[in-house]
Parts: sequence; structure tokens; C-alpha cells
Amino acid sequence: MRAWLLLQAGAPAMRHPVILAIAVGYFLVVGAIGVWAARRTRNARDFFVAGQGIGIVPLAIAAMASTLSGFAFIGGPGLVYSVGTGAVFLVLSASITNTLGAWVLAKRMRLLGEARGLITIPDAIAARFRSPAAQGLSAVAMLVAIVGYMATNFLALGLVIDAMFGTGLSLGVWLAMLVTLSYTVTGGILAGVYTDLFEGLVKTVASVTVFYFVLQAGGGMAGISRAITAVDATFLGPWGKLPALSALSLFFVFGLGSLGQPHIAHKYYMLKDPRRLKWYPMLMSLAMSLTLLLYVGVGLAMRAKVASGALPPLVRADDATPAFVLAFTPSAVAGLVFAGVIAAGMSTVNSFMNIGAAALTHDLPRAFGRRVGNELRWGRIWTLVLSLVAVVVAQFSGTLVAFLGIFGYGLFASTLVPALAIGLNWQGATREGAVASIATGLTLTLMLETLAYFRVFSLPAGVTVSGLSLLLSLLVFFAVSWFTRARAASQLDSDIRVVMEV
Amino acid sequence: MLTRLIIAAFVLSCTAIAGAYALAFLPAGAPPLAAWGLALGSAGVLAAVMALGAARHGRLRPIPLAAAILTFLTVAGAFAAALLLPPNEGKAAVLVLGFPLRTAIVLYGVGVVPMLFLPVAYALSFDDDTLTEADLERVRRAARERQA
Repeated sequence: MRAWLLLQAGAPAMRHPVILAIAVGYFLVVGAIGVWAARRTRNARDFFVAGQGIGIVPLAIAAMASTLSGFAFIGGPGLVYSVGTGAVFLVLSASITNTLGAWVLAKRMRLLGEARGLITIPDAIAARFRSPAAQGLSAVAMLVAIVGYMATNFLALGLVIDAMFGTGLSLGVWLAMLVTLSYTVTGGILAGVYTDLFEGLVKTVASVTVFYFVLQAGGGMAGISRAITAVDATFLGPWGKLPALSALSLFFVFGLGSLGQPHIAHKYYMLKDPRRLKWYPMLMSLAMSLTLLLYVGVGLAMRAKVASGALPPLVRADDATPAFVLAFTPSAVAGLVFAGVIAAGMSTVNSFMNIGAAALTHDLPRAFGRRVGNELRWGRIWTLVLSLVAVVVAQFSGTLVAFLGIFGYGLFASTLVPALAIGLNWQGATREGAVASIATGLTLTLMLETLAYFRVFSLPAGVTVSGLSLLLSLLVFFAVSWFTRARAASQLDSDIRVVMEV
Repeated sequence: MLTRLIIAAFVLSCTAIAGAYALAFLPAGAPPLAAWGLALGSAGVLAAVMALGAARHGRLRPIPLAAAILTFLTVAGAFAAALLLPPNEGKAAVLVLGFPLRTAIVLYGVGVVPMLFLPVAYALSFDDDTLTEADLERVRRAARERQA
């Protein structure tokens, strides 16, 4: 969230008519998609999994758009500007995780949808382990992370809207919520996927265009490197300014943790034809690599400009992208980038609104042996309630929002990777192992992050809460499953066994 | 048997990462060995979980097997090279594809090279080794039987 606060620094220049026109055009397209999707959303299945009718290209680009939040355009380049190549370790594993996700999760999730008509991630865990407890516990873990993510993104979007239109932060936050809510509550995930598709294309075009200007402004990548290495011998080292252990820890968490991100895994249910998954890694890898060019390029180019004395040091690292596009690209490109920032925030929030509403409408009642009568209506109501809660948190809790936003990724990873990603591929896993690992991930992440936040306790350099929680939840999962292995076979339904075998 | 081997490799990799984290708690800070634990452990967990996902009926066909092995070798090899080679990122740095040598090995070796073969391996093996029409029909039949 700190990253986004800095957009205010560029506020006057962001009110250029061309930039505003592109932003308004962007909102109009999103609104039109929302209206179109609302007319096609008739039941809970449409609302939560788009009636299982999404093609592979929209799915891959929407997954990329949801994966790369606003951090990829603002916070990420700022981090590269600060710590050099060490910051690239957050996204380095993207070369592997797209194919990894297809092999480990995509096929199994889609086939679970085929076999059982499942619509949520906790649904998949419950079906795999025949465990309402695992379903309820994973839903709770997801909700905790989701509220934080949503609040962070609403605040960020509010800051961008304020910087562009001069609305003031409070009104900006409410406007961000209302725009995202308007298409999510009416068109559900169908609106979400197609706005994600549009937003993903905006982000890709913006990233590639900006990267062209990065190379032009810096004299190619060699020119950028020469300018930096002339004054700093570690910035472009293999780990940048980070200790090797810290950089590698990021690689571990963001590599393996990618298999526990519900807003991505949930999208696998929506694919119309499971045989089209063949092309998913190729499409996703292409879209992701193009969109990450900005992440890597802008921070390095700005550092090179500062190193060569062409620009004064940035007051705040997160100004890297706004400062670069305003100084080195035409207004239309700057408009595209700021639209891309809004797009990134909205696509992430929209996904979380939907899976959060599903957790409240579908998973928690089922965990307690109850079923909601009209899931479509309650899905819409919970979407509204979750949005209001997130906006209130964003408006009134200050630094708490940043705190909530930080541990979301790690919480998803430590609670979902063992039970979901390993559980769906290993018949030796047991219900007890799944419940224990989810509880371990949830407890450890909340406890250690809270202690670190209040400075009661801190981990040594190179050890992160998310890395430690993920590791321990995995070890607990394997250990408990091994001790209870005699029960493994009896906890597996025949149709689920078929899904796991094919 | 194969699944057990993969799970053993996964747990072994996790243990290497746990060892690396444990070493970081030493009063003098993490020794160089800790980075090796994380480098090899991270490469190991990714390759192991890939193999676990790609295995069918307790077997791993040649293309997914090669993909998993190559992923481990590429990632572990690039990190090992960065840890072993002497630092040379100052004014006299030799640039390879725009970056100092060790950095280029990590950025291109881990960040780009797997992207060149993994999606292709997945697509090549999909029709025969990942999801066939017969597999789909088997899943649908199992679903019908359960409903009945």
C-alpha cells in the first residue's frame, strides 16, 4: 500500500487531458462489459464460475491480470529501483509456475468441476478429503486474507482516482469500490473474467510500450547496466542488494506459493473445454513475460538515470513508474500506464470479491451442514457486505491496511498449497493432515505477522514469515498424513480417485 | 513406488530449506551453506511437485520426466553458478545479454530458459500423457455412477 501512496506525488501531471480521457474511456469499457455480463448471469453457477463457459484465451489473460496486481506496475518497479535484481526474485519463478500450475492444479480442478460441479476452492478440498472441517477452515483463512487484499486495493485505487480526478481520498476509495462492485455484483465472475481480459490486454500493451521507452531512454540494457555498475557493484549482482538467503526465500515462497492462490486456481473451474488446457502454459507465459517487462525495466532505467546524474534520486522509490512515464513517454502512454494501474487493482479486487462471497455463501454454511437457498441472491448480498467491510477497513484503519495486505499471499500459500496442490495429487494425504496443515498455516502466519507488526519478535535476515509458515505447514501435512496413513484410502471417494488418477 | 519417491524428494527438499532457515538463526548469522540449502531445496520442491502433478497411474512418461529433471538442473545449476562464480559486477563487469555474468545466468537461466521448454513440453505431452478423450469419458462415467 505504501507504494500507492506515492502516486499522489505525480498528481498534477496525472491530470493531463489525454491521461484523463484514457482513464474515462477505460471506465466506460468496463461499465459496458458489466452490463453485458449482468444480462447473462442467471444463477449461482453463472455468478461464481461463469457457467463453465470461458475460452482458453480469455482464461489465460484473465489469470495473468489477476496474478499481477497493481504491485507489478508501481510497488515492483519501486522495489527494483531500491534493491536491484533482488526484487526480480518475486517474479523470477513465473517462467516455471504457469506450466507447474497446469500440471498440478488446472486439470484436476477442471475435472473436479466436471465430476462434482464444484464452484469454490474449499469445495475442492472438502471433496478431496470428505471434510467439512477442512472446507470451513480453508474458507476462514481465505476470508482473512481477502479482506486485507481488498482493503489494500481499494485504498490504492482511491489514491489513483484522487490523483487523476482530484476527488479526495475518501471519495476516491468509495468510487473505486462502487465501480468494481457495480460490475461484480451484477455480472459476477463472468463480468470479472471479461473485464480481466480487457484489463490484461491494457496492462500488456502498456508494459511492452513502456519497455520500448526504457530501452530508448537508457541506451539499451547494456547502457543501463553500464551506468549502474559504474557507481554500484552490488545493485546488479545476482541477488541485488538483498542477502542471497532473502532473494532465494522470495523465490521459494512465490514459486511454490503460486499453487495456493485461490483467485487463480478458482479460474480453472471456468474453462469451457478442458482439452484446451493444452495451450494454457504457452498463453499464460507469453502474457506474463510481456507484462513483467515494465516491472523489471522501469526500476533499472530510473536507477541508471540517477546513477548517471541525469535525474536526482527519487524521494520515494515507489515514484519510479509515475516519474518515468511522465518524464520519458508521451501522455497517451502515461494514460495507458495509469489505466493499467487502475486495471490491475480492479481485476484483483473483483476476483477476491467473488471468491470471498462464495466462501460466505457456499463454503461456511456447508462446513456447518447447511445450505443457502438462493446462492445467487446471497452471493450478491455478500459481495456488497464484503466490499463495505473492506472500504471501512481501508478508510479507518490506516497502517492496519498495509499490515493486512502484506500477509495475504503468504496466508494463501501456507493454508492452501499442502491441502489443495499436494492433496489433489497424492492419494496418501489424509484429512487429518489437511486440517492440521491449514490450521498450522493460519495460526503461524497470523501469530508471527502480528508479533512482527508490533515489533515483539522478528525473524533473522533471510527468513520470512510467509516462507517459514509455508514450510512448516508442508512438513506438518506430510508428518500427520504419514502418522494417519492407514485412513488415507478410506477417505477417498471413487470419482475423486478417478480425477486424481487420470 | 514412483509417487513415494517423488514425495521423498519433496520432503528432502523441504528439509534442505528448513536447514537453511535453521542456520539463519545462528548468532553469527546465516553461513554460506544456508543459501545452498535454499537454492537446491527450492529447485527440488518445484521439480518434485511438477513430477507429482504430471505422474499418471504411478508412472511418469518421458516428456514430463525430462521437463521435471531439466527444471531442477536449470534452476539449481543457475543458482549454483551464481553462488560459485567470483563476484564481478563493478565497473569492469563483463556483460552478457545486457547484464553482468552471474546476474545474466540467474535472470536468463531461471527466468527465461524454463519458459522456452516447459510450455512446449506440456503441449507436446498433453494429448497422450495429460488428458485424453478417454480420460474425460472415464471421469464423466465415474460422476454418473456416483449420482446413480
